[in-house]
Amino acid sequence: MNMVQPLSRQAIYVVLLRELKRYWRARARIIGAVAQSFFFLTLFGLGFSGFIGGFGNVKYLSYLAPGVIGMGLLSGAMFSGVSVVFDRQFGFMKEMLIAPVSRTSVILGKILGGSITSSIPGIILMTIAGLMGAFKPTLILMIGALAAVGVMFLITAGFVGLGVAIGSVLNDFHAFQLLTTFVMWPLFMLSGAFFPIDVAPFPLQVASFCNPLFYGVELLRWCLLGTGTALLGSFGWLIALGALAAFTSLMIAIGSYLFSKAQI
Amino acid sequence: MKRISIIEVKELTKVFDNNIRAVDGISFTVKKGEILGFLGPNGAGKTTTLNMLATLLRPTSGTASINGYDILKEPDGVRRSIGYVFQDPTLDLELTGRENLDFHGRIYGLERDVRQQRIREMLDTVNLADRADDFVNTYSGGMKRRLEIARGLLHYPKVLFLDEPTLGLDPQTRRAIWEQIQRLNQEESVTIILTTHYTEEADYLCDRIQIIDFGKIVALDTPNKLKARLEGDIVSLTFKTPQHARQIQQMLENKEWIRRIDKVANGNHYVSIHPNIQKIQRSRRDERADGMASNMSYVQASGAEKFSKDMLGADNKNVQHESKRLNLLVDNGGSRVPEIVKLIHGTEIILESVEIHKPTLDDVFLTVTGRNIRQEQGSFMDTVRRHRIIRHARGQRGKR
Repeated sequence: MNMVQPLSRQAIYVVLLRELKRYWRARARIIGAVAQSFFFLTLFGLGFSGFIGGFGNVKYLSYLAPGVIGMGLLSGAMFSGVSVVFDRQFGFMKEMLIAPVSRTSVILGKILGGSITSSIPGIILMTIAGLMGAFKPTLILMIGALAAVGVMFLITAGFVGLGVAIGSVLNDFHAFQLLTTFVMWPLFMLSGAFFPIDVAPFPLQVASFCNPLFYGVELLRWCLLGTGTALLGSFGWLIALGALAAFTSLMIAIGSYLFSKAQI
Repeated sequence: MKRISIIEVKELTKVFDNNIRAVDGISFTVKKGEILGFLGPNGAGKTTTLNMLATLLRPTSGTASINGYDILKEPDGVRRSIGYVFQDPTLDLELTGRENLDFHGRIYGLERDVRQQRIREMLDTVNLADRADDFVNTYSGGMKRRLEIARGLLHYPKVLFLDEPTLGLDPQTRRAIWEQIQRLNQEESVTIILTTHYTEEADYLCDRIQIIDFGKIVALDTPNKLKARLEGDIVSLTFKTPQHARQIQQMLENKEWIRRIDKVANGNHYVSIHPNIQKIQRSRRDERADGMASNMSYVQASGAEKFSKDMLGADNKNVQHESKRLNLLVDNGGSRVPEIVKLIHGTEIILESVEIHKPTLDDVFLTVTGRNIRQEQGSFMDTVRRHRIIRHARGQRGKR
């Protein structure tokens, strides 16, 4: 029943509040989320840095850090979005759906909450990487780090939106395994997190340019290292920002639409 | 009396994409303050009806109004007027009882003062005040149910939907919830529609009972009037073998003092009727097409009986499922037993037990639908098939 319903700030707030409360109460899982990225950064990063050294004048640990942050953001945000399936079938969401508020407000609250909660491990990891000396400690870095937090919200909002869209269409819990294998891993591997795509074969470069996470990682690199891939030139950050913003808006729109159409 | 109707349903129909008519043109009205029960087996269309009334599901045709709001044109008005306690729990287990109610109150736009006052009031009503600040995942099944009922009533709805309110609860808890439902019905002067497949629940709670089977209303009346339709006594005869039951059935068929004969149960296992639901649906629809009104009558009842016999015939290979029990509806049950015994005397038929009882809603259900309401316990495959169909139907929901 798609009557045009006004957005309800109260509803957005309630859903957001719920997400934050639940997240805070299960805060032990933050450790899990951070630890996974942390192992990647240290074991992988330090392990390879002796072998690779770095790309250009960026050492490998520094190069890897934004990528690993991006990986954490991606998986946190996707799972947060896909959890609408559980909400819808087992819980609270179903209760919300018979309330006199629009589904769009409900899902905007969900996306906002998911974006904040899945950015938190990213912020922690950025701090850890900083302490490990991945970024040059300058005054500009302070501003860059703040900008990076903004970028994290943008990245996660987009992928929560994508998760919601998938969760609204999929009803099969078993399909989640496929989600990790066929959506998250390719996105991650093609994001330029491990290696610069400048030296990659052409088809891989094309695939990367179609990958929203690539622009997210690129943007984080600009924020934290002040440099990016040569392929996008010296205004690469602007292109990346445009692409990422477009992706995020699109995903929020598609996620909201599919969720409002979804069955109970 | 102030008995004006608050719910009016007209020709409501839901056909899912797989062509299953989950709800088939039902019409009824509910009066203000009434407790109306939908009684029927799983998959009968009870929940689908509720979901349409709650604006969660768009009807294929027909419409309804609740509290003066049309479910198609004014869903927001409808949503504000109703509380819905779903069959599956929808509480947030990681929040406390109070927080669950608080979020609900916020969503429905209750101001802080009103909200907090109302939450205290409802927690008291359902006896959860002392556990209000514990996480819901520490609650027992009965407590969760009570919390959900409190939540459903928090925003002062005019109508409360309870979908299988006591499913899976132990008898004591069930009784306590019944009492609470009755009390709330009066104190909050809220109209209640509840679905159940427990006949004793419908009998105890409901002012009127609507028996639903295959998406149609097959009877709608007060529990007492429904039972009065089966005047007399039910004499249950259990024989050594199904063959014996069949033989005696033939001998009894022309006795005019017997009003009905039903073949019912096989020990604890009920008769397995052929589980091809769609086939049954078709044949049942044909029956109805033979000019049967939706009001229950003996004409229809015998139609149902015939149906059930047909189906038994179709399933004859399954001898182990065939009934060795007969239910007779007679006047003065006690005085007929000697006669039956006399009939058996001298034959090789072995009568194992005789039981006489007043008709219950279970018997009424059997009469109007030709099946036992607890039939699903009968054959495992039956249950599996039925559930698969239900699940399939559910998967089709919400094309809206």
